[in-house]
Amino acid sequence: MCGIAGLTLKDPGLRPELGAMLAGMLTMLEERGPDSAGVAIYDGTGTLNVIKDVGGAEQICAKFGIAGAPGYQGVGHTRMATESAVTKAHCHPFVPADGVCVVHNGSFSNHHTVRRELERQGTRFESDNDSEVAARYIGLRLAQGDDLETALHAMATVMDGFYTLLVTTATEFAVARDPIACKPAVIAETDGYVAMASEYRALADLPGIRGARVFEPTGVHTWTR
Amino acid sequence: MDPVIIDAARLTTRQINANLRELPDGARAVITEPRGRHNLAVGLTNKIEITIDGNAGYYIGGLGDGPDITVNGFTGWGIGENLMSGVIRVKGSVSQSAAASAHGGLIVVEGDASLRAGISFKGATLAIAGDAGNLTGFMAQAGTILIGGDAGEALGDSLYEAVIYVAGDIASLGADARFSDLTEDDVTAVKALCGQAGFTHISPEDVTKVDSARQLYHFTSAHASAY
Repeated sequence: MCGIAGLTLKDPGLRPELGAMLAGMLTMLEERGPDSAGVAIYDGTGTLNVIKDVGGAEQICAKFGIAGAPGYQGVGHTRMATESAVTKAHCHPFVPADGVCVVHNGSFSNHHTVRRELERQGTRFESDNDSEVAARYIGLRLAQGDDLETALHAMATVMDGFYTLLVTTATEFAVARDPIACKPAVIAETDGYVAMASEYRALADLPGIRGARVFEPTGVHTWTR
Repeated sequence: MDPVIIDAARLTTRQINANLRELPDGARAVITEPRGRHNLAVGLTNKIEITIDGNAGYYIGGLGDGPDITVNGFTGWGIGENLMSGVIRVKGSVSQSAAASAHGGLIVVEGDASLRAGISFKGATLAIAGDAGNLTGFMAQAGTILIGGDAGEALGDSLYEAVIYVAGDIASLGADARFSDLTEDDVTAVKALCGQAGFTHISPEDVTKVDSARQLYHFTSAHASAY
């Protein structure tokens, strides 16, 4: 499994609420990923604040005071480990470049092959997690000048496997899914925000959700600030 | 008799389903504040009417053998999974694997259905007013699927004896699915199903019928060299 939650705010008035909204979403996804959790918050100062820990999302959010954290964009992940160890280094989000944040639900089958190629080119890894390979590949493409949408389409031609990915930069918020789409994703968009989660129940308590446009994305969807 | 109101915001899923199970035949129940909750109204065998007043989660009405269920919203994966009998009507759209493995009963989707609706279908009836995603009717063994809008890629892949009718366009057929001639019996069946589902936007004479070419699930000696 694994759970993904993300928010990018359009309404600056919601910024003080970002952490509380994200913590609430992530707590609803704890069942999808009880092994560890991580949160990244773009607070508007140019710093990307990343918290990762082993354990349940609710406890981790409380421990690090996520509900009180303001910001304009945030990403969260709850992990059910399937192919590598449960340690802080294996937690999502992965940050392959300054301000770039990647979370993943799924599994990649050719990550060793891609990893060896990236290592030959000089990329360094912090874990043996398959998701980190996709994150590093996306980071590399962005560093080479791709925009996020182009980088994600390129990733889809190189990485083989199941994935729903949420990838953010300081100015972009993107969801990418493989064509079989067996890992879930739901988007809710209002005048105030774009929210993405693995399941609708994580979105159900957001402000204005009754009037939101709710849909399941396929392929690559990108929002730019 | 007034319906029993069950407030999902105050109860666990087990409590909600236990409350439903205790209702006598003929009773009505309304589940309020579902907020995307999974597994509501599953495994029930009493003949009751249930309204879920909002958006619901995965496996709603699964394994049902009695109740009629209406969802005033959209649902997640696996609506009516393994349904045995009864009618499930969803006023909005449904996510993946709608009516998976359903043996009997009728599942009506007034919006669109995502990928793999009717996967491993075993005899139920699925009526989708809007579009259906890729791999609809995958490995469907028996039953009828009606799609009022367009069908995605690989429609009816590895189809056995289920029949699929499509009012709109078909992106592509899956392995061993074929276009088949529409008979008078087919038109009568589609007309009856549109009546049951309340669909008025489909012209039964103009639907496309898809069934199995029956080339895939029998061993033929012509393929002996493949083994």
